[in-house]
Amino acid sequence: MELSITKNATCTFCGCVCDDIELHADGERIVETKRACILGEAWFKNHTAERLYPDALIDGQPATLDDAVEAAAEYLYNAHLPLVYGLSNVTCEAQREAVALAELIGGVVDSHTSL
Amino acid sequence: MLRITGGKVYDPANNINGQIKDICISDGRIVSEVEGGRTIDATGMIVFPGGVDVHTHVAGAALNFARAMIPEDHRRNAPYVRGERHRGGIGGATPTTYVTGYLYAGMGWTTVNEAAVPILSARHTHEELRDTPIVDKSCCVLLANNEILLDLLEAGETERARHVAAWQIWAAKAYGVKAVNPGGVAAWKWGKDAKGLYEPVPGYNKVTPAKIIAALASIVDDLGLPHPLHLHCNNLGAPGNYNTTLETMKVLEGKRAHLAHLQYHAYGGDDWFTMRSKSAEVADYFNAHPNLTTDAGAVLFGNTVTITADGPWQHLLYKLTGRKWGNLDVENETGCGIVPYVYKEKNLVNAVQWAVGLELLLLINDPWRVFLTTDHPNGAAFWRYPEIIQLLMDVNFRREQLKKLAPKALKRILLPELDRQYTLSEIAVITSAGPARALGLAHKGHLGIGADADVAIFNDSKDIARMFAYPRYVIKGGEVVIEEGEIRKAVEGRGYVVRPVYDEKIEDYIRPLFQQYYTMSFDNYPVELERLENPDIRSC
Amino acid sequence: MGGKVTCTLGEVKNRADLIVYWGGNPAECHPRHFTKYTLTQKGKFVPKGRKDRTMILVDIRETPSAKAADIFLQVRPSKDFEVLTTLRALIKGQRVSAETVAETGLTLEQLQDFAERMKKARFGVLFFGMGLSMTRGKHMNSAALLSLAAELNAFTKFVAMPMRGHGNVTGGDVVMRWTTGYPFGVNLSRGYPRFNPGEFSTVDLLLRGDNDAALILGADPGATMPQPAIDHLARIPTIVLDPKVTHTSRLARVHITTAATGISAPGTVYRMDEIPLPLRPALKSPYPTDEDVVRRIYKAVAKKPAWFPGTK
Ligand code: SF4
Ligand SMILES: [Zn+2]
Repeated sequence: MELSITKNATCTFCGCVCDDIELHADGERIVETKRACILGEAWFKNHTAERLYPDALIDGQPATLDDAVEAAAEYLYNAHLPLVYGLSNVTCEAQREAVALAELIGGVVDSHTSL
Repeated sequence: MLRITGGKVYDPANNINGQIKDICISDGRIVSEVEGGRTIDATGMIVFPGGVDVHTHVAGAALNFARAMIPEDHRRNAPYVRGERHRGGIGGATPTTYVTGYLYAGMGWTTVNEAAVPILSARHTHEELRDTPIVDKSCCVLLANNEILLDLLEAGETERARHVAAWQIWAAKAYGVKAVNPGGVAAWKWGKDAKGLYEPVPGYNKVTPAKIIAALASIVDDLGLPHPLHLHCNNLGAPGNYNTTLETMKVLEGKRAHLAHLQYHAYGGDDWFTMRSKSAEVADYFNAHPNLTTDAGAVLFGNTVTITADGPWQHLLYKLTGRKWGNLDVENETGCGIVPYVYKEKNLVNAVQWAVGLELLLLINDPWRVFLTTDHPNGAAFWRYPEIIQLLMDVNFRREQLKKLAPKALKRILLPELDRQYTLSEIAVITSAGPARALGLAHKGHLGIGADADVAIFNDSKDIARMFAYPRYVIKGGEVVIEEGEIRKAVEGRGYVVRPVYDEKIEDYIRPLFQQYYTMSFDNYPVELERLENPDIRSC
Repeated sequence: MGGKVTCTLGEVKNRADLIVYWGGNPAECHPRHFTKYTLTQKGKFVPKGRKDRTMILVDIRETPSAKAADIFLQVRPSKDFEVLTTLRALIKGQRVSAETVAETGLTLEQLQDFAERMKKARFGVLFFGMGLSMTRGKHMNSAALLSLAAELNAFTKFVAMPMRGHGNVTGGDVVMRWTTGYPFGVNLSRGYPRFNPGEFSTVDLLLRGDNDAALILGADPGATMPQPAIDHLARIPTIVLDPKVTHTSRLARVHITTAATGISAPGTVYRMDEIPLPLRPALKSPYPTDEDVVRRIYKAVAKKPAWFPGTK
């Protein structure tokens, strides 16, 4: 299979956020990294495009994305003080959406920084 | 489709001065006639083109840095509570992005120019601007301390410098070029400043502030950018700096330029104890030189936070106030400082600053060349503009305010002697028509056929500050966004950018230097156009 | 939050001749920090790279980073604040007694030398890690270090920067600041942002049992938080978004699998110096991105009868 090459990819494993990584991928997994350190290389190789997990779980049982989204919305909507927490290993775009959601549900939004 | 009937229209760009006239709107533009659609009865009201802010700091790394530094200010000011059609947030000196859009639109302003963007963090600025609703946005990229450019000027390679600058403007997805304390920020990176206009910048033999100013103004003119070089002169805030300002204006002869926040550059005296107004000297020279425009950078008393790309000045302010100090130097490009600040009526220096801003607005005789700003948030938050309008329109109110100053201050300023009162038409010029023209936005700042349908409608009232603080209606791009003090629709604004012509091969020149001096990949440096919500590329 | 005198990493690369790491182990936790940004880079004004720079490491134990340092200063645990205070006094020329210094595990001579080196540097930088900012007295420690850096500017150019940890935690601060005005721990229950660290921080909230639902994304608190906090997450409806089924997913009512940031999800992240960088995913995930899923949850909530502050 032909390898795809991505240049100037960005590693988000640590705060260095190195953006000079070259990634060779075979469609499902990254088979080679250039310039990444050991931690970065492990990070890239540890995530694949395989379907290793169900789309979603509700109460531990496989569920569809739609059902899971509805269930999540229901829980958050009904809560008095929901918490939106984490925001470390996600993009700024996701963080923006998370703040918007926290505002909509009248919750608290917090990150790793507070730990 | 929308028709505004019966209002007194102030559209100075089209020589309309308070005539009763219908304004018709279709597809976001002003048109001559509409059939059907909503009609707003503006009888007894005043109709203005939407406000345009030529110089403000509302987005990006520096402002966002300031937000973290002043939680006490966030708490002091009324918050913005979430509603059906708008987000919640924080007001005060550094409003959150959504609130920034609401507050500007809420007083009838529909276009803002973010005045200071480093290329390296331009992506951040654009992300915030995308989250700033309603208003249209442009921004100016900081180039006067960019070491790749300074090195080219040192080597006398002006031609190549032009291509590099053009490439950088497009990389930042900017609309104009800003020069802050030319050479001074580069010097600040060694803890120094560039004071003399004709002295070499530390680290260089030939490059002087004067040389940088002249070169950048020429580059901007040669590239045909719609907005001239946007210049923050050297020696900001320092007693006696009016000499630097006069010299700077001489350097600019024969070139276009916009001098930012002139208030901070028109002081006499030798130190803080002898500081006085030199607004007359600065205004006289300025009046005689139609190649220049400026904005006031007016100061109002109260709490704010100062934030400029002028690191040395901010360090000085920190030493003077002993308050918190933030500083952020950006590799190769620029730096910025942040200091929370309170302007006090009884403080002599602050009194002079307050007076100088107003004096310049009153002494510069052509309103088409001086615009209303506070260099937000430096002189005061932008949402306090209506207070300045009142000070300009009402000499009696001004006299009342003067009484609050220490008597000693009155000897150092000219304001008590100035009787000029702005007319409504002149207010429309300094808040909208003038800045739109200076920005080169031909479809903004007026209500002629084809213009963007950005309109502010005010009650005609004797209480000027109140009238301008609470427009009855604000229309942005043909949509009613504010009505009866409420947000009716938080539309998205557009982002103006320019794409000046450059030789594509200039990248081959920049790339190796970039790799040497910077810490990110060259290919990740330019901001993708897709990052802008509604990009609008203006021709140059 | 006080001020902070800082810069982007390129400034360090091009200018810094004195590099101090305090309470961190970059060799193991930020492996490319030395080579990409600081120590070994040849910079515009430090053309000889490593030879032009001095590195000082301050930590409570000798980590592999000590090998890279010219000077290693081993501080007794929980004595960072005392060391920082002493340095602030020394650079201002104030007298410091040898006895007070002794309890820090360092000698007065060592600290005098340290203070002198900082004052004499052309461009100095203080990087501070979790060892300083996440231990007892963390806010005081960070504040003292930031003050030290600011005060050094009376003598030379000096900056400070936190060694931020995982992923895009910096981006979280940045985004929250522009959307809410505060960097973390923001309570939006009244329809506008309120900030009170200690009151609205996650661990405090969970320990008090204040939250009655939780959405976790981009973190695995099940692996990092104190057990009582985790117990509370298990009691309430918790929703987890993660590329893998994590510790936290197992105790959650809902888990949704998402694409991995930067590997199969595009977007923007911020480096520790708050420089935004684009992501270039090399794989195409069968799962939606976190951004997508949060937006979908938002839409699903927005369809329900509207709630506004004061009506709940
Ligand atoms: S490559 Fe290594 S140093 Fe760079 S961000 Fe990834 S983990 Fe950190
Ligand atoms: Zn400014």
